[in-house]
Amino acid sequence: MADALAVVTLPTVVEELLNEMAAAVQESAQIPDEHLLSLKFIFGSSAIQALDLVDQQSITLISSPSGRQVYQVLGSSGKTYICLASCHYCSCPAFAFSVLRKSDSLLCKHVLAVYLSQVMRTCQQLSVSDKQLTEILMQKKQKA
Amino acid sequence: MDNSQTNGEAKCIVTNEASAWEGLRAGTGRQLRRGTLWMAETLRRVLGRGRAAEPVEESAAEAEPPLLLLGGPGSGKTALLFAAALEAAGDGRGPVLFLTRRPLQSLPNRTRAALDPLRLQKIRFQYPPSTGELLQLLCSAHEARGPTPALLLLDGLEEYLAEDLGHQEAAYLAALLLDTAAHFSHRVGPGRGCGLIVALQTPEEGDSGDALQLSLLQRYFPAQCWLHLEAPGPGQRCFRACLEPGGLGPRAEWSVAFQPDGEMTVTPWPTQACDPSSNKGSSSGGHP
Repeated sequence: MADALAVVTLPTVVEELLNEMAAAVQESAQIPDEHLLSLKFIFGSSAIQALDLVDQQSITLISSPSGRQVYQVLGSSGKTYICLASCHYCSCPAFAFSVLRKSDSLLCKHVLAVYLSQVMRTCQQLSVSDKQLTEILMQKKQKA
Repeated sequence: MDNSQTNGEAKCIVTNEASAWEGLRAGTGRQLRRGTLWMAETLRRVLGRGRAAEPVEESAAEAEPPLLLLGGPGSGKTALLFAAALEAAGDGRGPVLFLTRRPLQSLPNRTRAALDPLRLQKIRFQYPPSTGELLQLLCSAHEARGPTPALLLLDGLEEYLAEDLGHQEAAYLAALLLDTAAHFSHRVGPGRGCGLIVALQTPEEGDSGDALQLSLLQRYFPAQCWLHLEAPGPGQRCFRACLEPGGLGPRAEWSVAFQPDGEMTVTPWPTQACDPSSNKGSSSGGHP
């Protein structure tokens, strides 16, 4: 994971929670209930949806020989979205909406699911060529 | 607990990224603080050339946070970017990639350093003519061969944003800039990194502009340096450069003056760099 993930940072409380979850998962391979409750408290229904996405193996880490990576998340609607590995971005409409709301952090259930899959250390992995990775990144150039 | 089954192209792996993950989490805060100090140091070196250079800890030169350079038209953003390019080129850490829409008409900042061909050679200019081309360039940055840039500069972000981009597209452009710099940092290796400075023209003072777009960009670029126009002296223009490292380091200010011949002189604020003989109306050392 690129160090620049730190650049668009999560609120401290969220970081701490994710740290605790990572430590707990290391011990017991499961997220303790209290952490699930905290997640729900902070993120509301997005937390459940994000956990579902992780459970359903909907997150794929795509990398190319260059070392560059991007996440692809299969949304509940069947559409795939991409989430950047180095900072908060998701191509889904909910992210677009959160962008418009100045007070919220830039988060959607897909970005949250990516974080959770890192904590739980489980996601699909896919290797593509450098050119293919470019296409994947370009795909999300928005059509008007 | 490591089992992997291959099935077709996609592998389902319970990965053991323990050290990477924990290292990232634990080191993040520290890195960001050190990175900000490094960023501030680079800018200080560029902006504070008159002072005795303070030693830059090598260990601080890790993932430095991206910086957004903001100011109205003609406030010296291009000159500062170019000075940062020269500084980094002289560092020996790697080439500099300078992206701008149109070739610079003339080299800003005609100091001796600017004319050093060895440094100029290390600055690669590219001129993506449209937002689409810029996106293409960033998306394919990992395909490029050759030495990895140690500094990525973009001048005139406002021109690329003006192409009728919605907010999500603007966010994607900002995010891709970060992602590209992150990829370069990863390729350059641990202990070094690729910096990112992006210049954005803001409307003239008093014009509201697109506040939402600006606040969006500020969320991707927590460290900012603002260039404010100060009262001009005869034949020269003075600006106040305020570095705000996003709460992760001390604020710092400088006075930047451009002489008619293009030469840029910088002194720490509040000592006035403007011509002392025309001290009329220059704001005093007081600042918010």
